[in-house]
Amino acid sequence: MDAAIFDLLLRWLHFLAGMIWVGHNYSSVVQRPTYRPLCAEDLSNDDSPRFQALLHREHGVFRWASVVTWSAGLLMLWQRGTLGGALSLSGALAPIGIGMYIGTLMMLNAWFVLWPHQQKVLGLVPATISERLRCSRISHLSSRTNTMLSLPLLFFMAAGAHGGAYLFK
Amino acid sequence: RHPYDTATGTVLLGALLTVLLLALLHFVIL
Repeated sequence: MDAAIFDLLLRWLHFLAGMIWVGHNYSSVVQRPTYRPLCAEDLSNDDSPRFQALLHREHGVFRWASVVTWSAGLLMLWQRGTLGGALSLSGALAPIGIGMYIGTLMMLNAWFVLWPHQQKVLGLVPATISERLRCSRISHLSSRTNTMLSLPLLFFMAAGAHGGAYLFK
Repeated sequence: RHPYDTATGTVLLGALLTVLLLALLHFVIL
């Protein structure tokens, strides 16, 4: 396949998967802008409305979308020969490099902080009610960390290809 | 309350981090 077409397809995939990933995160912020802690009653009864709502939101789509987004982004940089420059934050590649580091942090957060705690909250991993309540707070903070990180992520990703790179030469 | 407990607090922190990283890029990295 022609390298330019491959690059365009990767960029398309990167955008689509990124919108699915961050879109899920933003959706949770819009639907629940203010934190409301779970209580023991929510978790001790599997039929409670809040627990059922939590359970139905767990489908893994955004977690896997994060892997697709990250992989497509990395592959794009690699096939352009700019991965090394982005990793070392060299010159005009510094903005996309910063975006890449933030995106990597977000993916690791989703998989290795949010997910293990959310598994306990949902009862997918056995835990006491008090432990599940503690984990629900960490899940919230982890999710909002990614919301917060998405702002500089999008700024530096956009700056890398839409004029920002020129400013940083 | 923790800034993450409201949507506004979360967005403001994100904007602040963007500015800080921009300053880091401009004055330190490049």
